[in-house]
Amino acid sequence: MIIVKRGLTALAAGALSTALAVPALAEPVKFDFWFGLSGDLARVVDTLCKNFNASQTDYEVVCTSQGNYDATLQNTIAAFRAGKQPTVVQVYDVGTATMMLSGAYKPADKLMEENGYKIDYSDYFPGIARYYATSKGEMLSFPFNSSTALMYWNKDAFAKIGKTEAPKTWEDVGADLKALKDAGYDCPMAINISGNESWQLMEQFSAIHNQPIATKNNGYDGLDARLEMNKTKFVQYVTDLKKWYDGGLIKIKSKDLGQDMVQAFATGTCQVIMTSVGDHGTVGKTQKEGMHWDVAELPVYAGTERKNSLVGGASLWVLSGKSDAEYKGAAAFLNFIHDPKTALFWSTNTGYIPVTKSGFEYMKSSGFYDKAPYKGREVAIESLTASEPTEITRGIRLGNFTQIRAEFGTQMQAIFANKVSVQDGVDALVKNGNAILDRFQQTYPNKTLP
Amino acid sequence: MEKRVTFGKWTIGILFAVPQLILIFTFFYWPAGQAVYWSLTLQQPWGGGNIWVGLDNFRSILANADYWNSITASLVFAGVSTGLAMVIALVLATLTDRQLAGSRLYRVVLIWPYGIAAPALAMAFRFILAPEAGFMAAVNKFWPGFWDPGLNGADAMASVIIAFSWKYVGYNFIFFLAALQAIPRSLIEAAAMDGSGVVRRFRDIQFPLITPTIFFLLVINITESFQDSFGIVDIMTAGGPANATNLMVYKIYSDGFKGLDYSGAAAQSIILMLLIIALTIVQFRFIERRVHYR
Amino acid sequence: MVERTPILNFFTHLILFAGFVFCVAPFVIVAIAASHNLKDVNDVPMSLLPGSDFFVNIKTAWTTADLGPKLFNSFVMAAGVAAGKVFISALTAFSIVYFRYPGRMLIFWLIFVTLMLPLEVRIVPTYAVVANVLSPYQAIMDVTGISWLIEKVSGVQVSLSLGLLNSYTGLIMPLIATATGTFLYRQFFLTVPDELTEAARMDGAGALRFFIDILLPLSRNNMAALGTIMFLWAWNQYLWPLLITTDQSHATAVTELKQLIPNVGGAPEWHIAMAGTLIVMLPPLVVVVLMQRWFVRGLIATEK
Repeated sequence: MIIVKRGLTALAAGALSTALAVPALAEPVKFDFWFGLSGDLARVVDTLCKNFNASQTDYEVVCTSQGNYDATLQNTIAAFRAGKQPTVVQVYDVGTATMMLSGAYKPADKLMEENGYKIDYSDYFPGIARYYATSKGEMLSFPFNSSTALMYWNKDAFAKIGKTEAPKTWEDVGADLKALKDAGYDCPMAINISGNESWQLMEQFSAIHNQPIATKNNGYDGLDARLEMNKTKFVQYVTDLKKWYDGGLIKIKSKDLGQDMVQAFATGTCQVIMTSVGDHGTVGKTQKEGMHWDVAELPVYAGTERKNSLVGGASLWVLSGKSDAEYKGAAAFLNFIHDPKTALFWSTNTGYIPVTKSGFEYMKSSGFYDKAPYKGREVAIESLTASEPTEITRGIRLGNFTQIRAEFGTQMQAIFANKVSVQDGVDALVKNGNAILDRFQQTYPNKTLP
Repeated sequence: MEKRVTFGKWTIGILFAVPQLILIFTFFYWPAGQAVYWSLTLQQPWGGGNIWVGLDNFRSILANADYWNSITASLVFAGVSTGLAMVIALVLATLTDRQLAGSRLYRVVLIWPYGIAAPALAMAFRFILAPEAGFMAAVNKFWPGFWDPGLNGADAMASVIIAFSWKYVGYNFIFFLAALQAIPRSLIEAAAMDGSGVVRRFRDIQFPLITPTIFFLLVINITESFQDSFGIVDIMTAGGPANATNLMVYKIYSDGFKGLDYSGAAAQSIILMLLIIALTIVQFRFIERRVHYR
Repeated sequence: MVERTPILNFFTHLILFAGFVFCVAPFVIVAIAASHNLKDVNDVPMSLLPGSDFFVNIKTAWTTADLGPKLFNSFVMAAGVAAGKVFISALTAFSIVYFRYPGRMLIFWLIFVTLMLPLEVRIVPTYAVVANVLSPYQAIMDVTGISWLIEKVSGVQVSLSLGLLNSYTGLIMPLIATATGTFLYRQFFLTVPDELTEAARMDGAGALRFFIDILLPLSRNNMAALGTIMFLWAWNQYLWPLLITTDQSHATAVTELKQLIPNVGGAPEWHIAMAGTLIVMLPPLVVVVLMQRWFVRGLIATEK
């Protein structure tokens, strides 16, 4: 097919589009939203989209699951390079730095302003907003599905050792695990050491203890940030975990071994795990009958002033290069998601937490947190709001962070298989991770983070 | 290898190849050419600027000890899984070709492994190979600590080799069977009349006659064990523990697809490609000589 | 066979049966998983006694993933890829084996190299090509100055564009562009006795006649094997269909299936996922059964 352009055709096309704009009143404006969730969560997003489409007649959002976060980002890039990008896309937390440097987005705050929506940004929980905001505080994307890590503990098991509360410090954890072992529990605590566990073992731990992962305020202040967790309390933490693992107090549980942590906890095999609040519902649905359990904030080392934990999940980005009509639709969609009622719907059907104070208040007032199966999830909000975010606990803004997470898994496995010492392993993580950061910085020679 | 008798008008000959050439130019060489260009630059994933760096990407990859580990792991994986998948498939195909009762059923079922969907593969092998569940759990009861793919690199490598070989047994089986069935029954019957036994007939008649297929499968299996393995690695080990199963193609996949390091991934793909081409040339040079085409 | 070999027969049955068990076991495990409820499917070890929710799960998987039309799309794609490969590869191999022209080996290797770089690795540039399949040609014309020439001569600005996103052609074409089939046919054609070619030429048959009347019928087993394998391969493709079918009307079953796979942090609904897997795996397994008819004993002696 050969399309021949002459001066005249451009003129004709202009006339055509004006002509088309008039009857467009009847037809809703369609725009694409790509997201990275699957399973039951994908169904909830689909319902959300249907609800939005039913709530008004001007716009129709077409929601497509891309299976997972990696594929969503990858496919969006491929589409963007060919000029076929969706209007709204869900990008995971660690993709934020890449997105900010991409030049491929329309700032969400500008979009809302241009389309006449007033969003009160101070309504977002600071711990969530700062993770996605620029170092100056502008919201380039809107937080969507959010969670944080909690400690899940088996009340029945702890009752056996005479405890009615979850341990608050790591020192207590050590003692309790020992007591559980002595009381005959084969697996007092389960952890996993794959790359993705970097989120709770390294990132959450460092935030709560106000320890940096990288220089330059975890990368917020420049692409020349480099890793430095080999000089922080994190080393002590890994040393303790390894010691407890060697003593049989901690077992490694992962899907490849048969049972992942969540299953190990739900079936009563292991008595303590640390995982996302998003698994709260799963534990409830698959737990051994009659088992009593609860969630608590992650422990800290004695004498540490607890800071806010980090948010995990993804935010919604609006991409550049779309029509004004599509942007109007996107703005209406983001406004719809921002609504407290949507927050209630979202948290009721998934394990995610509300991202705004008004959403949280609305849910509290409607009795959401009063009874099972949702009771306990408010601990996640307490954990996220344990303090005002510091320069370090805002989040992590490092390039190619997925590869650094993979490197985390590699070195943890080497440490736990006794191939290297704890310090050597963490040093290697810093060295290899910095090579990744060097490369990222070289790729963007003249750019700075907004 | 050359045909003695050919057709004269070679212009017509080329015409037969044209559809394929157009396809591979458009959908392979053009995009692959872009990947070559990427390997010589630092690409920003979203487009909008890239820096010419010459061979720097290659230098930094080849200077990395982890990368050499990855090459070794890939070679081990390719050698063992190709051997396993081919030998098992050849035995099964030869026995099925004897056409005893039930061979029709075997003919169907033994191909199925290649048709399995990735999630099913993960689920099934998790059941069979996971040290805490199913079959290997029983083995671990007798020898505690015998099987630990979570921390033991060799065990993890064994897991991915088993899963990959299992899938490719189905692939090899169907081509072996097609080749064996193309051998005229009369030939084998004549040999049987002469009093040669089953093993002898296999050695003297069937095996030589299917060497073209064996050669085909050898080349394809080695190639695919480098190429098609990332899905299985992704599901089963994600390259771990401690990089033990970080095969070359998985590293390309995770660096490029997940890490968005397009240039590094492109440079790695080119190294991988050159390695496979070298291996293939060796096979054509030295192994194809033993193939009996007529 | 003519002789009696009871011991060998016994071992043949034994080995084949072992092979049978190994090949079928994973499918059985999947089917059992599909019959459990949420709690039982997540038990470790999972019970090998089937649960009672089989049909409920199948129905849930079928409706949530909307598998009906998706299976049809998958079928079109897989059949298209299989047929395309079987046909185009035969043509190319014929050209390479039965003709002698300069650059013949170069063409063979050009095609062969396509085996060496999987689609997943070059997916971003390939997507760009499919978004406008004529873009390579446009670029060539621009670089060589042909576009400029045309514009000067006729005043027409050349802008080639043909998008294949969300189309069966776009799904199928890039998946055909590899070398497996060409190599397989080459191996087979080389074993076809020269006497056949000579005889055909003596009868005055041209190249095309020989190809259609003699070579293709002889290749029946290989065509069936190649067709089966390519069908299975194309059916299970995931990344490519996912990327280029943004519109649900062209989505394939496997891409929909992946959406049934539980999300990290979502409910581990493996029973639904496995029920979906079972449905999605069934058509290719049936195709394998049907393709069996094409396997026939060789009729002509390939030995001289």
